[in-house]
Amino acid sequence: MSEMEDLVAKVMADMQNSATKSTDAPVNAGSTTPTASATTDGKELGRDDYPLFSKHPDMIKSPTGKSVTDITLENVVNDKITADDLRITPATLKAQGQIAKSAGRTAIQGNFDRASELTAIPDKRLLEMYGSLRPYRSTKQELLDMADELEQQYNAKICATWVREAAKNYELRKKLKGDN
Amino acid sequence: MKRQKRFEELEKRPVHLDGFVKEWPEEGFVALEGPNDPKPSIKIENGVVTELDSKQRDEFDLIDMYIADHGIDKSRAVEVMNTDSYKLANMLCDPNVPREDIIPLTTAMTPAKAVDVISKLNFVEMMMATQKMRPRRTPATQAHVTNLKDNPVQIAADAADAALRGFPEQETTTAVGRYAPFNAISIMIGAQTGRPGVLTQCSVEEALELSLGMRGFTAYAETISVYGTEQVFTDGDDTPWSKGFLASCYASRGLKMRFTSGSGSEVMMGYAEGKSMLYLEARCIYITKASGVQGLQNGGVSCIGIPGSVPSGIRSVLGENLICMMLDLECASANDQAFSHSDMRRTERLLGQFLAGTDYVSSGYSSVPNEDNMFAGSNTDAMDYDDYYVMQRDLKINGGIVPVKEEDVIKVRNKAAKALQTVFEALGLPKITDEEVEAATYANTSRDMPERNMVEDMKAAQDMMNRGITGLDIVKGLYNGGFRDVAQAVLSLLQQRIAGDFLQTSAIFDKDWNVISAVNDKNDYEGPGTGYRVSGETWEKIKDIPMAIDPSDF
Repeated sequence: MSEMEDLVAKVMADMQNSATKSTDAPVNAGSTTPTASATTDGKELGRDDYPLFSKHPDMIKSPTGKSVTDITLENVVNDKITADDLRITPATLKAQGQIAKSAGRTAIQGNFDRASELTAIPDKRLLEMYGSLRPYRSTKQELLDMADELEQQYNAKICATWVREAAKNYELRKKLKGDN
Repeated sequence: MKRQKRFEELEKRPVHLDGFVKEWPEEGFVALEGPNDPKPSIKIENGVVTELDSKQRDEFDLIDMYIADHGIDKSRAVEVMNTDSYKLANMLCDPNVPREDIIPLTTAMTPAKAVDVISKLNFVEMMMATQKMRPRRTPATQAHVTNLKDNPVQIAADAADAALRGFPEQETTTAVGRYAPFNAISIMIGAQTGRPGVLTQCSVEEALELSLGMRGFTAYAETISVYGTEQVFTDGDDTPWSKGFLASCYASRGLKMRFTSGSGSEVMMGYAEGKSMLYLEARCIYITKASGVQGLQNGGVSCIGIPGSVPSGIRSVLGENLICMMLDLECASANDQAFSHSDMRRTERLLGQFLAGTDYVSSGYSSVPNEDNMFAGSNTDAMDYDDYYVMQRDLKINGGIVPVKEEDVIKVRNKAAKALQTVFEALGLPKITDEEVEAATYANTSRDMPERNMVEDMKAAQDMMNRGITGLDIVKGLYNGGFRDVAQAVLSLLQQRIAGDFLQTSAIFDKDWNVISAVNDKNDYEGPGTGYRVSGETWEKIKDIPMAIDPSDF
């Protein structure tokens, strides 16, 4: 069975590595306007604007600038669509956040606001950041450095605050590297 | 003692195989109203919660802190905490009080207050409240699609079968972890063949699960576990902040997700802090709310044996579903883990959610016989389909599925198996033979399937990841293999990520990709004649069980 076990170990290790290989480069950092709201006439969207797909298809763009109506079978088969064309943009997440708020769910809007910042971070780095926030993985300084990276490199101010808040609480409750 | 014959016979009944425990509050073996549960309280100073459920801020653990800072609507908190729990409980089950009037109150409570309110309700009152409080007007249910050998052809056929029966969400997991990428694409292709618009997921370790989603192999995730004590949360290798971050990671990739919790998990993991199961579960539900996640799978879930063993435990489990709905969260109400040997008791477990209707009555219903269920068996499985259909018909209830014709099932199973065969060929994966397609079309369990070379499959699954295959490659493979409609369905699923409509609360799709969620299908129950009623085409389908005799035949 040792061959089997070796294979298992390799498959698991490689899966973790490869899952993100194809999208290592930042996909939409700088190519979109993360803080701009998707609005109609500058007005906040409400639950009557939902669903966006049928009511405001014109507003939905991929990070590469393609319209949602460009996502056709023909374009896929002719290699005119890539995986990057199938990602959600910060503007769409902001729009969905406004709809959630209008439906009385401000907590969801908060989550979508964080998410809109995270669209700029490559898959691989994002998975690493999640790992760093798990208990006993990081020193306080490492978490604070990660917060700085979020803020400075990705303009992710809300997420930076989130990580600093985690660092403070991990210190208080002994969840930092070496505390276990 | 000389045995009394009736007692001797009764001991042979299946219910005697179930585990029952007398209450032991010090170890958390108490469903609700535990003697050590904290008294509800809140103090807010300068906009900061300085006291929560009888604990001062400097005594807060990670969970208290997270809930205090993110999980409670402070604007009406003091008002609600000063309102009598009987009055609030009455509002919950009173049809004359609309849902939208109560949500601002229930989302301003503390966890201990929510538990206090729930403890005032009997089982039927909880059902009345559930009927009104679930976020989506239309009830639904979710399927498990797995098998003992991770046979991908069988997964595709079973997913198509389940999709035809009406499950709008389907979940797979692996028997052997390395199969995850195959299981994920097999359930996706099978489900889109059976009925376009079905959402599929593959439950594996958190980071791996997210990476499968990023590739376009899954559309949502559910097994993002949260726990009610800090020690168990840490043992689960996360913190509220890491889980909250993970939630945002999913949304940032246009993927739906909900958390998972369930009473009994803290007892099972040995750190219940002497609190009742419902109180600890309430903390999990507030963590979910605090994270801005749209929903939660809860109701004992895989730990159902623990609350199921103590007095009032099954009542308390409906109570935890209800707290989830009170916090305006999508509720996938468990009924998933097999927990009783007694058919009567399995039905009892199901009834609260089934009769009242929840966003997903089961999460999930095993679409395969339980011997193939890799979530350790479900409360209801494929062998219960006909009983379930009859229950829906007898009581005029939409439990989330509809009867199907054998010839239609054979057709979609065969098509799904062939579609997967085509994709495997296009992606250079180990061959799926015509013999396997035929076997999967007619199979009931994995015992009906030919053996595959599992080592070769695992190598190929790994290689597929190395090569950076994505959902788009699957679309192309289907299209080039002549499965244009399935290709379009998989592409539509990927396309929906750009729009994000299905990130909203309780979202599912119909066969034409119209989203149905708590935003555009909000629960408007206000007594007889309002809310969801089984009618029209759905009722015609539910009525039409193949077993029924047609009088016109005589």
